[in-house]
Amino acid sequence: MSRVLAVLEQRDGALRKVSHEVVTGARRLADAFGNSTVDALVMAAGAARGADAVGGFGADKVITLTNAAFGSYAPEGYARAIVDRVKAGGYDAVVFAASATGKDLAPRVAARLGRPLAQEVTDVAVEGGAVIAIRPVYAGKALLKIKIAGSPAVLSLRPNVFTPVQRPKAGTAETASVDGSAGRVVVKQIKAAPAGTLDVAEAPIVVSGGRGLKEPANFKVLEELAAAFGGRAAVGASRAVVDAGWRPHADQVGQTGKTVSPTLYVAVGVSGAIQHLAGMRTSKVIVAINKDKDAPIFKVADYGIVGDLFEVVPKLTEEIKKLHG
Amino acid sequence: MKIAVCIKRVPDSETRVKIASDGKSIDEAGVKFILNPYDEFAVEEALRRKEKAGAGEVVVIALGPAAAQETIRTALAMGADRGVLLQADRIPADGLQAATALAAELKAGGYDLILFGKMAIDDYNHQVGPMVAELLDLPCVTTVAHLEIENGKGTAEREIEGGVEVVEFPLPAVLTTDKGLNEPRYPALKGIMAAKKKPLDAKPTTIAAGGLDVLALMPPPERQAGKIVGEGAAAVAELVRLLREEAKVL
Amino acid sequence: MSGERFVPAQYQPPLPLDRLILKSGAAGAGDRMDLDVLIVGAGPAGLACAIELAQLAKRDNSDLNIGVLEKAEALGEHSLSGAVVNPRAFRELFPDVPAAELPFRGPVKHERVCLLTSRATIPLPTPPTMRNAGNYIASLCEVVRWLGARAEALGVNLFTGFPAASLIVDGQRVAGVRTAATGLDRDGRPLANYMAPNDLVAGVTVLAEGTRGTLSQAWTQWQNVGAANPQIYALGVKEIWETKRPLDTIVHTLGWPLPTDAFGGSFMYPLEPNLLALGLVVGLDYRDARLDVHALLQRMKQHPLFRQYLEGGEMVEWGAKTIPEGGYYSVPARRSGEGVVILGDSAGLVDVPSLKGIHYAMQSGMFAARTIFQALKANDPSAERLADYDRLVNESFIMKDLYRTRNMRLAFKDGFYVGGVKAAVMTATGGRIPGVKIAVESDAEVERRVTPGESPAITPDGKLTFSKVDGVFKAGNATRDTIPVHLTVGKDVPADVAEFYAHMCPAGVYEVVQGTLRINAPNCVDCKATDVLGPRWTPREGGSGPKYKRM
Repeated sequence: MSRVLAVLEQRDGALRKVSHEVVTGARRLADAFGNSTVDALVMAAGAARGADAVGGFGADKVITLTNAAFGSYAPEGYARAIVDRVKAGGYDAVVFAASATGKDLAPRVAARLGRPLAQEVTDVAVEGGAVIAIRPVYAGKALLKIKIAGSPAVLSLRPNVFTPVQRPKAGTAETASVDGSAGRVVVKQIKAAPAGTLDVAEAPIVVSGGRGLKEPANFKVLEELAAAFGGRAAVGASRAVVDAGWRPHADQVGQTGKTVSPTLYVAVGVSGAIQHLAGMRTSKVIVAINKDKDAPIFKVADYGIVGDLFEVVPKLTEEIKKLHG
Repeated sequence: MKIAVCIKRVPDSETRVKIASDGKSIDEAGVKFILNPYDEFAVEEALRRKEKAGAGEVVVIALGPAAAQETIRTALAMGADRGVLLQADRIPADGLQAATALAAELKAGGYDLILFGKMAIDDYNHQVGPMVAELLDLPCVTTVAHLEIENGKGTAEREIEGGVEVVEFPLPAVLTTDKGLNEPRYPALKGIMAAKKKPLDAKPTTIAAGGLDVLALMPPPERQAGKIVGEGAAAVAELVRLLREEAKVL
Repeated sequence: MSGERFVPAQYQPPLPLDRLILKSGAAGAGDRMDLDVLIVGAGPAGLACAIELAQLAKRDNSDLNIGVLEKAEALGEHSLSGAVVNPRAFRELFPDVPAAELPFRGPVKHERVCLLTSRATIPLPTPPTMRNAGNYIASLCEVVRWLGARAEALGVNLFTGFPAASLIVDGQRVAGVRTAATGLDRDGRPLANYMAPNDLVAGVTVLAEGTRGTLSQAWTQWQNVGAANPQIYALGVKEIWETKRPLDTIVHTLGWPLPTDAFGGSFMYPLEPNLLALGLVVGLDYRDARLDVHALLQRMKQHPLFRQYLEGGEMVEWGAKTIPEGGYYSVPARRSGEGVVILGDSAGLVDVPSLKGIHYAMQSGMFAARTIFQALKANDPSAERLADYDRLVNESFIMKDLYRTRNMRLAFKDGFYVGGVKAAVMTATGGRIPGVKIAVESDAEVERRVTPGESPAITPDGKLTFSKVDGVFKAGNATRDTIPVHLTVGKDVPADVAEFYAHMCPAGVYEVVQGTLRINAPNCVDCKATDVLGPRWTPREGGSGPKYKRM
C-alpha cells in the first residue's frame, strides 16, 4: 500500500482554498499508485478552520500539527515538522501547492530529505512504481516530462490545474502538538499589497482596453472588472490609447515585440489590427469583447463575445465577483 | 561584505523552442544565451550591498559548460570582483544535483550573503537557492522584492497571494531575488574592458547521481481554434463557465 | 487626393549636424576611453578591419588597443543580407582556415533567373554579372558572429549595445566618437538606470556603419566631400522560412509584382534544404507614392513559384534593410581624412548587378587596417597618410568591378524595359557603351505621384502573408516602449506625404490617423529607408531595434 502526504496551507487560522487542489492532486496520485491513502497535513497555532472539510476532497486523514509559533508561516519550523512526519510515516509522495508559500517550503523539505523536487507540476502519473510528472518550462512554450525514482517523490502542484473534485467520503481528523521554535526565519506580518501596483507585464490576469472604450473616463469599467479578480488583475491599454494620452505608458501592453503572457487576457474594445496583437498572442487564454464580429482580435482569441462592451463588461464583473465572493 | 551570487546561463526569453533530436532538450542551434534575468537582480543587489558597506567582495559562481564563462564575464562587467565556473557538460535538470555542487563550492567561502535569482527562465524550477541553504544549514528567504540589512540582521519583503510578507532573518543567509528588488545596472564600457582581466577560475565538476530523470521535452498542446461564445451580456454566464471548467483559468 | 504629386525632399529635415558633430571637450560625457583605433560598426567591414589590424600588430609584436562599437545588443543582431558571398576576402584574411570551416551554409550549386508575370514564371538566361559559381550561400548574422569570435580571440575589444551617436572633432580632425545615452524616458528625462554617454578617443576612427551611415553622412557633409552622383538606395524586405518542400537552387526574379517604373527584383536562397531566405528589393526612386515593399513581398509570395515552397511552412524571421545602389559614380571622392576612414556600405562599395557587397566591405576593412597600421607605426594618422587607403581601394578589384557596371543600375531609371535593353548593351560592351556617366538625382528629389484607386495592401492571412506588425515581432524587436523618439520629422507633413511614409516604412513606424502622422518609433528596425526619403534617423539607446538571428 502506498501513502501520499498532502501539505495544506492556512492563513489566519483558516485553510486556504488551494488546499483543496492539493488534496485533489494527492488523491489523483494515490489512485495512480493504486490502493493508497492520502493524509493531509496542516501546520497551525491551533485548530484550522476548514480542515474537517478536506476529507470531502479525497483525504483519508487530516492531521493538524500545532505549535504556538506556527500561526504564521515558519519556514524552518514547518520544514522540520513535515520532514519528521514524512520519515515517521514512510510516505511515497509528498505534495505541496505551488503557491508562494509552497514554492518556498517544498525545496526545503526536499533538500532535507535528500530528494529531488518536481516544482509546479500540471499532471501526475505512476509508471512502474515511479512518479511521472509533467511541468511547463520555457514560459509555457514546452512541457517537460520527468520521472522520479526512489521515495518519497516530492512535488508541488500548479494552482488552478487540479480542479477540486468533491467526494462523498469523509476522512478522520487528528491533532498533535509539535515542539520546537519557528526557526531563524520569522514572518513578522503580512501587509496588504499596495493598491494598483500590479505590473501589467507580470500580472496573471490582464484586462486591456482599446479605442473602443471611446473616452478615458470609460476605463473605469475595466478597472472595476480588474478589481473583481481580487488583486490578480492589471488594467492594460493598447498603444493607440496610450498615445492619445488616456492611460499612462506603464499600462501599455504588447508593443513592438514584447511578449506579455498572462494566464488570462481580456481584450475589450481592441480591434486587434494594431501593434497590440503581436505582443499578447502567447497569453494562455485570450478573451475578446468587441461589437465588430469581423474584428481581427477574434481570430486570435480563444473565446469571444460580440456585443456592446458597456453591457458585456459590467455583467462579466458581476459574474466574477460572484465567483470570488 | 563578502557576497556570493550564483548565476545561470539560460536561453534568451524570446527563443523559439525547437526540440533537439534526443527529444529531451532544446535544439541549441542559433540560440542566444544570456545571464538569467532574475540573477541580474541578485548581482545588482550584491554590488549595492558591497558598495554600501564600503569594502568586501562579490564572487559570481556558475554551474555549467565552458560557454558559461561568457555569462560570468557579463556579471564581472557589471562590477563583480571574481568568478568561478563549476564546469560540467550539462546543467542538471535535477535542482538538488545543482544545489549539491554549488553548496560544496560555497561551504568554505565565509559569505555574509549568498544570492540567487528566484528561478531560471528556462526550467522555472524555483528551488536551487533554498536547497543550497538547507545543505549549508543557513537561513533562507525566497523571492525577495525589498531588502534591508542592519547589524547582522535582515528584513525582507516578499510577494504572496493578496499581500506582502515581511520576514526577519539573521546573517549569514541565502536569499533569492525577485523583480522589483532593484534596477540592474547596464555594464559600463570600462566595466566590459575590466572584466577581461578579472580572475575567472574554471573547475571541472562532476555531478553526483540523482533521482530525477528527464523522459521527454514536448511541445505544448495545440491551441484550439477560438469560438464566439455568444452575443451581448447574455453570453457572459457561459463565458465564465468555459473559463472555469474548460480553460481552467478562473 | 488623387493625381497629386510631391517631392519628398521638400518635407525632409536636414541632418542635425550640430548634434552629430561635437567639438572635443564638449560637456555631457560620463566616462572617457582612449584607444589606438576605434571602429564604429561590427559588421563584416568593421570586423575584418579589426582582425587584420590585430593580426598585423601580433606579427609586429606590438600592442594595439582596438575597440569596436556596435549598436545592437549582440553581434549580428542588426546584420541582414541575402546572401551569396564571394569568398575571396575570407581566403585572404584567413589563409589557414579550410573552406569547410568558413561561416558559409554551402556552395551555390544551381541558379535560376526568371521573369515573373502575375501567373507565370519565364526562365531567363543568367546574366554574366549574376553568375555565382564559386560563391557561397551564407547568413550575414552567422558570418558576423564568426568574425566577432575571431576578433575577440585576437584581443579586440567588442562593445555591443553601444551606438556611436556623434563624432568628436578637434579642428578638422576626427578625434573619436561619443556614444548614445541609455535610460532616458520619452521626454528625454533620465530614468533610474540612466547611463551617460561615453567618449571614445582614438588616433584613427573607422566608420563602418553599413548602409546610410549617420556619422559617415555627417562627416562627408561637414568636409564637403562630394561624389559624381548622389548615393541612391533600394529597400529590401526579407523573410526566413522553414519549409516542407526542399529548395536546392538560388533564384533571382525580375518583373512582377514590381510596376514597370520601379527597379528591383527578388531573391530566394536555400540556407538548408528546408530553410530558405527570400526577399524583395526595390529601388527607392519608385514613382507611385503608395508603393509598399513589404506589401509587395506579401503579394509576391502568393505566386506559384514561391508558394510551392512556402505552403505549409513557417516564417521564422523577418527583417528589412536598405542597400546603396549608386555604384561607382556615387562613391565619395575620398573615403579618408584627418583621423578617419570610411568602409564598406557606408562608402557605397556595393555592386548591384551582381548583388555583392560583403566581400568588398571586408576587403575595404583589410586595406584600411594596413594603411592605419603603417600610419600609427609612423605616428602619423594624417589625411595624407590615410589617403593610402583610398589608393588601395581605387587600384583594387573593388573599383574595377564597380567601374565595369557603373551605369547599369542607373540605366534602369528609365524604366524596366528601356533599362533592360540598356543593361544588355552595357554588358555586351563591358561598360563602354554608354561611356559617360548617367546623371541621377537623389531618391528624395524624385517626384512621387498619388495614384487614384484601391490601396495596394493585401489582408494578411497569418499563414503565408503577414502584417508589418507581425514582421516586426518576428524581427525580434524588443525596443523599450518609452524610449525617446529617434526620428526627426519635417514640419507640417501633409496627409498624402504621411501616407507615403506609412507605405515606405516596412516596420509600420508611420501611420496616418485622422489625417495626421503618427509615429511608432519603437517599431523601427534601422533599415534607414526613412533617412533616405523621410524623417531622418538618428542613433538611439544601445540594444534597440531588431534581434536578427540568421538574416
